[in-house]
Amino acid sequence: MKNNNSKLAFILVTALTSVATILFSFQKSENLKELSYIFFSYPSVPGHYVSKDSLELEKLLKNSERRITTSLRRLENLLPYGPYLIINTTQNKFVLRTRKGIIREGICSTGSYVLLDAGDGKQWMFKTPKGMFPILGKIVDPIWIKPDWAFVEESLPIPPRNHPDRLEYGTLGDYALTLGDGYLIHGTLYQRFLGLPVTHGCVRLGDEDLEMVFKNLNVGSRVYIF
Amino acid sequence: MKNFIIKLQNKINGAVTTKGVVLFITVQLAVLVGAFILFGIIPVSSEVSKITSEFGIERTGNQKLPPEKIVLLERVRDREHYESILKSALSLSKTDSISLLIDLNDSLAILSLKGVSLFQSKISEIEFNKGLKKLPVYLRDSLYSGPFPVKDELASIEKFPVVVKKAPKDTTEASANNAAPELPIQNDVFVLFALDNNLVIEINQEEQDLAGSKRAYREFNRNYSKFFREHNFAQLKDKSAPSYLYRLKIFIPREEARSIYRALPIKPYVLVRY
Repeated sequence: MKNNNSKLAFILVTALTSVATILFSFQKSENLKELSYIFFSYPSVPGHYVSKDSLELEKLLKNSERRITTSLRRLENLLPYGPYLIINTTQNKFVLRTRKGIIREGICSTGSYVLLDAGDGKQWMFKTPKGMFPILGKIVDPIWIKPDWAFVEESLPIPPRNHPDRLEYGTLGDYALTLGDGYLIHGTLYQRFLGLPVTHGCVRLGDEDLEMVFKNLNVGSRVYIF
Repeated sequence: MKNFIIKLQNKINGAVTTKGVVLFITVQLAVLVGAFILFGIIPVSSEVSKITSEFGIERTGNQKLPPEKIVLLERVRDREHYESILKSALSLSKTDSISLLIDLNDSLAILSLKGVSLFQSKISEIEFNKGLKKLPVYLRDSLYSGPFPVKDELASIEKFPVVVKKAPKDTTEASANNAAPELPIQNDVFVLFALDNNLVIEINQEEQDLAGSKRAYREFNRNYSKFFREHNFAQLKDKSAPSYLYRLKIFIPREEARSIYRALPIKPYVLVRY
């Protein structure tokens, strides 16, 4: 009886250990697969190439080179002809450049990703849109027409549309470039926040950077935001 | 439970004989070998035969070739690969989405939009898993140059670092809010993109030290293990499921990895140049 019990215990322990080994091996499947690759290989040169003679290969090479040149030319033609602006919304940096090289680079401020909740289902998300945008307009001494959220943020009553309380002078700096849907590239009074994601979606630049961007970009120039 | 273990221990003590130990070790070894075959050899073998039959690889490729011909073949292969990359870049330039090109040749991760390179990050380290390392370059071309859409993704950071803010109740609270802007938390960056062609691309920060929350890092690691576990389980259940995942890991600076991940749309296109 005692012997039988011991056998049973032995079988139980062996079975449990085996299950644990299987589970552990399953967990380590990726390592086992890596190890298994020792036993497998592929030919280093494809068979259909091996059968070709040197002349045929030279011809293949020439044709390929020709197609590469065409593709490279087509890709180069995709680059803007004039200066363009690239904005990195994660690092809050900008690069003003042409095909040939960088004109100016520096820091900027972009959307804060704040979701302002005013209750009653009223919400605003302050993010800078990503993609390619042509400059739609250029403004000197821009006036900020304050949207509703600007009053909600300051806990002030929202005035009616076209009310003079909505107009604010000097906040946007000396210049603004319009990107559409109310988004602008403009200056700022809050120079200390440059380099940080603090805006309501617009792109803020320092005074000198803004002047340089304004002078180099024309209506139709491209702005790439990522 | 404690009593049960003690009883079991006593019973085992009675069974610990040389024969018992040998039998136990033999069984465990057999289980290990079985597990190695089931979880290692079979999936790899099925992947290798799938590729061999799919691409009609002729073994003649192994025959001895004159060195000039090998050089010529390498050049043809290199040019054809570059050609396919340029073709893919051109096709991606027609979309409105930002895409990622991982150029292993020049060790660069490049973001591009409409054919314009927006951002470049120098890759400090590249790791391939064995399967990808063993895959000859002519097969990598056909299988992995792309462009391929990302099917699944895991990341230790949010795509959109949204901060929810309640509107202030009065002007005092409003001016306090304006004085100090609320900035998003900057966690460490580890990203996994699973492409729909069995390729898994991992973009990791090169910095060893963790700068952000350990909780986010642990959460990512949990999801990372779960991803591979689920894949291995699916492969056991379904014979048609991919049996092997090719893995490419690149290391770039933390902030650059963050820029790349946040710039890419959901389910972006990725292109790899070998």
